[in-house]
Amino acid sequence: MSQYDEVYRAVSPAEFFYKYREIAGFANPVRAVYQTIRELVENALDATDVHGIPPDVKVTIKKADETQEFYQITVEDNGIGIPPNIVPNAFGKVLFSSKYVMRQSRGMYGLGVKMVVLYAQMTTGRPVEVITSKPNLKRIYYFKLRIDVNRNEPVILEAGSWRKTRDWHGTIVSVTIEGDWNRAKSRVLEYINRTAIVLPYANIALLTPENEIIYYPRVVNTMPRPPVETKPHPQGLDLEFLSSLVKNTGFDTLEKLLIDSFQGIGEATARQIVQKAGLDPDRKPDSLTNEELLALVNAIKSYDKYKPPSPKSLSPLGEEIIIAGLKRAFEPEFVTAVSRRPSAYSGHPFIVEVGLAYGGKTPIGEDKPVVLRYANKIPLLYDEATDMIVEVVKDEISWDNYMVSLPAPILVLVHVCSTKVPFKGVGKESIADIPELRREVKLGIMEAARGLKQYLSKKIREEEAKKRAENIAKYIPEVARSLSIILADEDSFNALRSEVIRKLTTVVAKKTGVSLDLIQGIVKSVEAEAGV
Amino acid sequence: MSKIDLEARSRALDIVEYSMKELIEQIERGEKPTLIMPKRTLSNTIYDLKHKMLLLGPELQKRSFTDVNEAKKFMQTLLMASIIYEALRNNEYPTIRDLYYRGKHSIVYRSIDGKRVSENTWDEQRESDSVIRDLEVLLSVLREDLLILSKEKGKVVGNLVIRSGDDTIDLSKMGHGAYSIEPTPDLIEFIDVDAEYILVVEKDAVFQQLHRYGFWRKYKAILVTSAGQPDRATRRFVRRLSDELKLPVYILADSDPYGFYIYSVFKAGSITLSYESERLATPSAKFIGVMMTDIFGDSVFKKIIREREARKTLEEVATGIEDLKPKAPYLSESERSNFIIRAKTKDLERAVELVGYKVADVCMEDKDAKSKIKRKEGLTGYPWFATPHWVRELCIFFNTLSKLEIEAMASKGLKFLADKYIPEKISSGDWID
Ligand SMILES: Nc1ncnc2c1ncn2[C@@H]1O[C@H](COP(=O)(O)OP(=O)(O)OP(=O)(O)O)[C@@H](O)[C@H]1O
Ligand SMILES: [Mg+2]
Repeated sequence: MSQYDEVYRAVSPAEFFYKYREIAGFANPVRAVYQTIRELVENALDATDVHGIPPDVKVTIKKADETQEFYQITVEDNGIGIPPNIVPNAFGKVLFSSKYVMRQSRGMYGLGVKMVVLYAQMTTGRPVEVITSKPNLKRIYYFKLRIDVNRNEPVILEAGSWRKTRDWHGTIVSVTIEGDWNRAKSRVLEYINRTAIVLPYANIALLTPENEIIYYPRVVNTMPRPPVETKPHPQGLDLEFLSSLVKNTGFDTLEKLLIDSFQGIGEATARQIVQKAGLDPDRKPDSLTNEELLALVNAIKSYDKYKPPSPKSLSPLGEEIIIAGLKRAFEPEFVTAVSRRPSAYSGHPFIVEVGLAYGGKTPIGEDKPVVLRYANKIPLLYDEATDMIVEVVKDEISWDNYMVSLPAPILVLVHVCSTKVPFKGVGKESIADIPELRREVKLGIMEAARGLKQYLSKKIREEEAKKRAENIAKYIPEVARSLSIILADEDSFNALRSEVIRKLTTVVAKKTGVSLDLIQGIVKSVEAEAGV
Repeated sequence: MSKIDLEARSRALDIVEYSMKELIEQIERGEKPTLIMPKRTLSNTIYDLKHKMLLLGPELQKRSFTDVNEAKKFMQTLLMASIIYEALRNNEYPTIRDLYYRGKHSIVYRSIDGKRVSENTWDEQRESDSVIRDLEVLLSVLREDLLILSKEKGKVVGNLVIRSGDDTIDLSKMGHGAYSIEPTPDLIEFIDVDAEYILVVEKDAVFQQLHRYGFWRKYKAILVTSAGQPDRATRRFVRRLSDELKLPVYILADSDPYGFYIYSVFKAGSITLSYESERLATPSAKFIGVMMTDIFGDSVFKKIIREREARKTLEEVATGIEDLKPKAPYLSESERSNFIIRAKTKDLERAVELVGYKVADVCMEDKDAKSKIKRKEGLTGYPWFATPHWVRELCIFFNTLSKLEIEAMASKGLKFLADKYIPEKISSGDWID
């Protein structure tokens, strides 16, 4: 072979991600523990709340070897389960997923659990175990499998099934990986805690290798409305997508293809678009030349009277749930939530939600409020510095104007939900800067902050009223004493004094609008100090 | 304890009780307790042209306990009332300093944010003094009626017999000393008098010289000194002499803005204590000297008003300056240069306070001295100084920048002061009213 020759070959997706696992968040033994738990928990949650089932998720971490740092991680859910014929591919074939549809879910790449399996395979060599059943099935299925990295195919090591004796449905996934639990622990706990904040409708339990039980019980019965699968919006279209539509669907006419494949295109619109592209509405789609396809894409995209993308595919948390979650977590003095109206970028619908907690056990924000970021209900923990949301909170909102003087116990929760969250990487840790999104985030925070401002200014007013009352009440005993010296004799002195105190206390309470108790408290403290 | 004293006490006790009863009735009705009293501020001080004195205007001040800005004052007012009441009851004569100490204690309480706070009922005597003044207007009595004493320095001699307490005192038999006017002049009874006028001398030293000279016996005068700025008892005493003995009152003070002001306090009252004028001021009091015209004559002034603009301006301040009677000086050129003292900026400023800037502007030639006067907003002079006589006096003062003490007149010769200057001025009616 000469110096200018190369060896060429293709690698399977499994092989690729096996080699470049850090792209998917498996960079080191600490991150690997965290990422494994995340992937399994998120799949469990997708199998429950996306389908309207209140989640019951249990995570168990056990030391699996005496000498080596092997941990068995098991996640159990009460979700919709997986059809037995699908299980091998779902867990053993990279880029196989049920989530490549227009519907909001946590998963989106078809990669997560396979990365876990691959990582287990390369560190401990142990296979993944899956136990699953769907609600309508009579049997429970059991699999033990691994991935053939070169072929990107599942290898079933064991499979079996047994009859259901109780009405159980859901999935239990168990893997054994090598990892640094001790250093990962705080991250994992934080992840579970953050997840629980936006899921007050879920039971989430975690059992650590140290036998600690961390449990977040359900506190609300409301569920977010489940997302409904929708057709793509024409504005999100490109040439590649249209070519595959034309090839893979068997429509007779162009018109039918447009009406059936996209949301928001009716007969009249379809005709208009096709004519603009200089084509015949009755043309057979698979007869189009490349130039004609390009003309059609341009016609579809330049049409400007589409309705905005349907938000039905989204599943926002809703204000009630956000408030319940923040209350459970921080017992704040003030809490509010804002669910913005649906909006869209490049044909993808999205909704921004903001929660704001103040006081109570809310952590102290130093130069800006503490920010909790979420995307499709997933907490984002890493890469905070480069995140658009953090930037908005820090630089675009003047917290002074909302009567917040930092440092202060204030926290802002931002949830972005979309059929396509613009993550910066497959690790799903930070959100890219998209103007439409940024705008909504800012407006949402401002709206919530206005609520806080109202609360704070009312509180200040009340405090001022109390101060005023105090500055009068402290003189009541002296006034009563002076009057009694002048108007009472020795025998009636005490009676008159108490009577005047009683009456003045009432009048002062009435005039200042504060409680009788407060005024009595101050009067009593004066008397106690004076030894009356 | 004299009968008259006991009566005064029981009157005072009634007044305090009556006012506090009103308050307790409000409280019993569940209303916010409110003290209503004349407003004791400069803006509510008016010069009553008819009675020729400074009086409190018609504005009232409401002091409600439930008003956070008034609560402390309200408490202080009641506290002071109770201390005074107890003193009256216990047959005591507290001074204002005593009252300050008796009422001063701390109120300690726990504030709404849990802190232990300590606060004094009052901190400085200034505060408690102000509360006493409030009580005087609230109850419309003078502190003397409440048997509160203040240090007094006024003295009197003359053909006058008085009763003070249970004693009868002949003020013509005081030797080289004099009767010192008691702090409660209303408790004095006039029994017998043989006098033609009352001469009030600002300076104690001059009073003593005239006394030893036998001035009052020779000219049938009652001789009084206030020994400087007149206190309340001296003013009240002079007022009673004027009212009850129906004798004219002449005032002899230094020839400078300060002396002029002392005269005006006797005559019209003072701004800070305007509520007392009705009982302390002597509107008929006349200023017999020392006048600027007694020193300089009127040539300086005549020269100034020869100029049209100047005349017009001064005419605006007080009409009738051209009709003033001509005046020859009592002092010769050389005496003047011996006795005169040069006025200081402070004297000039006080003069401006009396007659306003216009007179100063027209009459002052010394640009350097003029530039030193601090200009305060709204100083237009007191209405009772806006008369042709006073404009002439102060115009000469501004022009010559000179002042003269009464003692100087005495050093020209006590005989001159006692036998020429005073009698001649009185008999010729050369005074300012
Ligand atoms: N606990 C579970 N219950 C039901 N289905 C599951 C469960 N775990 C995995 N699946 C199925 O397996 C598929 C593959 O999961 P995987 O985590 O690899 O990808 P994904 O969740 O679709 O996307 P992502 O890579 O973003 O996680 C899912 O799409 C889902 O259909
Ligand atoms: Mg997944």
